Amino acid sequence: MIQVEGSLKARLAVWLVVTVSALGVLLLVEAYFSSQRAAERAYDSQLEAAALTIAEAVQWEAGQPVVEIPSAALQILATRHQERVFYAVLDAEGDTISGNLDMAIPPRWRHQVATQPAWFNETYRGTPWRLYGRELDSAGWETQDPVQIWVGHTMSGRDALTEALFEQAVTRFVIMVLVAGILMLLAMRVALAPMRRLRHQLRQRDADDMRPLEARVPEEMREMAETLDSLFTRQRESRDALLRFTADASHQLKTPLAGLQTTSELALKSENPEAWRQALADVHGSAGRTSRLAGQLLSLARLRHAEEQGTATRLDAVSLLRETAFDWAQRDAAQGHDIGLAALPEAPQYICGEAWALQELLGNLIDNALRYTPPGSVITLGAVCHAQTLEWYVEDDGPGVSAEVMARLHRPFERGGRQDTEGSGLGLAIVDSIVRRHEARMQVESAEKGGLRIRLLFPCLTRHEEG
Amino acid sequence: MSIRRVALVWLLGALAPSLAWGATPLIVEAALDRQVAAPLLDAFEAAYPNIQLTFRDHSTLEVDARVANEDNPPDVVISSAMPWQMARVNEGYAQPLESPAARAWPQWAKWRNEVFGFTFEPIVMAYRLDLARYMLPPKTHADLHTLLRRHRETLRGKVTTYSPLRSGVGYSLFQQDARYTTRFWDLVAAMGAADTHLEANTRSMLEGLSDGRYWLGYNLLGSYAMHWAQTHPEVIVQIPQDYSLVMMRMAFIHRDAPHPAAARAFLDFLLSQEGQRVIAGETPLFSVRPGVIGPYTAQRLRDQAGDRLYPIPLNASLLAFVDPARRAAFLERWQREFHRLSHPAPAQTPAATEPRIDKSSQR
Repeated sequence: MIQVEGSLKARLAVWLVVTVSALGVLLLVEAYFSSQRAAERAYDSQLEAAALTIAEAVQWEAGQPVVEIPSAALQILATRHQERVFYAVLDAEGDTISGNLDMAIPPRWRHQVATQPAWFNETYRGTPWRLYGRELDSAGWETQDPVQIWVGHTMSGRDALTEALFEQAVTRFVIMVLVAGILMLLAMRVALAPMRRLRHQLRQRDADDMRPLEARVPEEMREMAETLDSLFTRQRESRDALLRFTADASHQLKTPLAGLQTTSELALKSENPEAWRQALADVHGSAGRTSRLAGQLLSLARLRHAEEQGTATRLDAVSLLRETAFDWAQRDAAQGHDIGLAALPEAPQYICGEAWALQELLGNLIDNALRYTPPGSVITLGAVCHAQTLEWYVEDDGPGVSAEVMARLHRPFERGGRQDTEGSGLGLAIVDSIVRRHEARMQVESAEKGGLRIRLLFPCLTRHEEG
Repeated sequence: MSIRRVALVWLLGALAPSLAWGATPLIVEAALDRQVAAPLLDAFEAAYPNIQLTFRDHSTLEVDARVANEDNPPDVVISSAMPWQMARVNEGYAQPLESPAARAWPQWAKWRNEVFGFTFEPIVMAYRLDLARYMLPPKTHADLHTLLRRHRETLRGKVTTYSPLRSGVGYSLFQQDARYTTRFWDLVAAMGAADTHLEANTRSMLEGLSDGRYWLGYNLLGSYAMHWAQTHPEVIVQIPQDYSLVMMRMAFIHRDAPHPAAARAFLDFLLSQEGQRVIAGETPLFSVRPGVIGPYTAQRLRDQAGDRLYPIPLNASLLAFVDPARRAAFLERWQREFHRLSHPAPAQTPAATEPRIDKSSQR
């Protein structure tokens, strides 16, 4: 039974989504940090410009640095985003010359700025700030002390710019994914077109069309197409076999029926009651054979029907063999032959099987042996234990068959090249079917004494299965 | 679900003032004359009957001091001392107002959506009718300088202006004046020479004019002066014809406002069509909002005074005015210039100053 498990498109889509998501997360994380860096660079240069503007306004008056804070510097500092701004101008001792910064600049920072301008991030009263400090060496007439200029602002502009840049990156990414997705769908349509063609072709096929496929398929689908072809071949063969069987069966039934008709017609034309009686006896014998033939056909058809599952049980193969041999040895048909048992294993050997089918199997083999060997022949049944298997064999010391016929023996209506018997040719075919049902193997070989030896190898039940 | 909840919260917020069981108090600290603002306050009280408005009128520097009062912060702060207001907002004393009116407010009249310039008040000269009997009243800054120089003795003690030390508005105006031209310092020197009286507020100057103590006032708030002139016909208001500064009264919600919902309602009202209509129609504060019709609108003032209006920019550059070093330097120079002619410094030769004045006045 074919089970539908998702679709190829869904599979491809899931893989696409998973890989794109993983890749996307990485890309977006990278994009976020690069946006942040870009925004930082843009706004840091504003801080730098503001500090420079303030530095321009520093002058020395009577040995003291004096600064008239330029309005422009504050506006540069505030930026377009109207940041809160603060600034401080410190003298060499770190005392404020002027400024609106009520936070003291740590000495560590002042030392750092003394060597080169530096940026700092600081959270003050719950608000994150960006600070920039630079030192200015300005020359006065009396003193030449350095002056430090500190400027800072809040970060909403940076955040907004980061957000805007990040949004752009996300937009670009989403568009890319959408375009890639659409292209992927198109590609899938193109790639799956051969499958559609194949499906179409299969759907339009007639039920009894068993010819090989004539489809152009890509490399990846070659195996499937070949499998389909071989399936068709096997179906064709099995159908041919069925037709042949039916034809043969009809033929086999037709011959005795035609004999019946002839016999009865002759009897009807005769006025002699003796002739009537003889005809009636012939009719009786013929009807019995025909009935047996029909029974065999029926059981063969039943066995070949794969769907019909029997009720297999655990049974002792040795005792079954023994009982069946005794049963047959007592029958009238066997009186001309010597049916005997070889040495059997002492302990019971268990296999899994259906008793009636196995009896039928043995019966057919014995019956065959009786029919195809001259009277007085010895028929021997035996059982042998192997490591994994249990072997039954039936051998006779009759004339045997040639090697080429041996291969065809299990086919229905095959009589081993002999027309001199009353057999229908169905016996070994039935045996073959039963053997298959039991997952066993049948080997046909020549016996040591010149007759035919048929070996049946059944899988043993393991101890575990026995329990 | 969440949208519905947000909507519900919004609705409750909007209804809260009217649903409140008792009246919500609202404390407004303002450097805004109660008489001038009365129609606006009445309109607010009519619109929000459940808000108990307490309106405290102080000088600009007092208002500024109360902002930093940690124990008893006000809800809304209004002041005409723009640099101080800006400094407080920059220090983080304001909270943003998120409302359609705030968002729609002109960009040039707000900062960070936290502080809003809601009036548009020209800075004017005012004179007493008596002045016209002796001289042609001044129309420009140059006219004023000429008058002070030519009629120094007549005008001695009869001129008044803001004290930059005691008034935040006055200081800001002089700073802005000094930004435009260095000749402003000649004007200061001339005013000093005429023994100009320095007042802390426009009201005192207007009272002096009506009393007859003063004949001429410089850098008065146009809003107060025009309001005064309506009932005092002896006072004439003159918008300077060369350039006229425009001051915006700035309002913000205090960060620690005890009644933030009421404060938002109040500020929203100031910025609303209705509030601005009252400002334009019933107060001389001049409406900022475009599209408001009334005798006192920024648009109408622009039509009258044309390009000569110079609004003090409402941005971070204001912070430079309250820089301690810059303020100290400015006040020092103011003192120096104010006393230059009347009490010449020993280092300067008395004769050296005269020609400089003459020279500059002829320009």
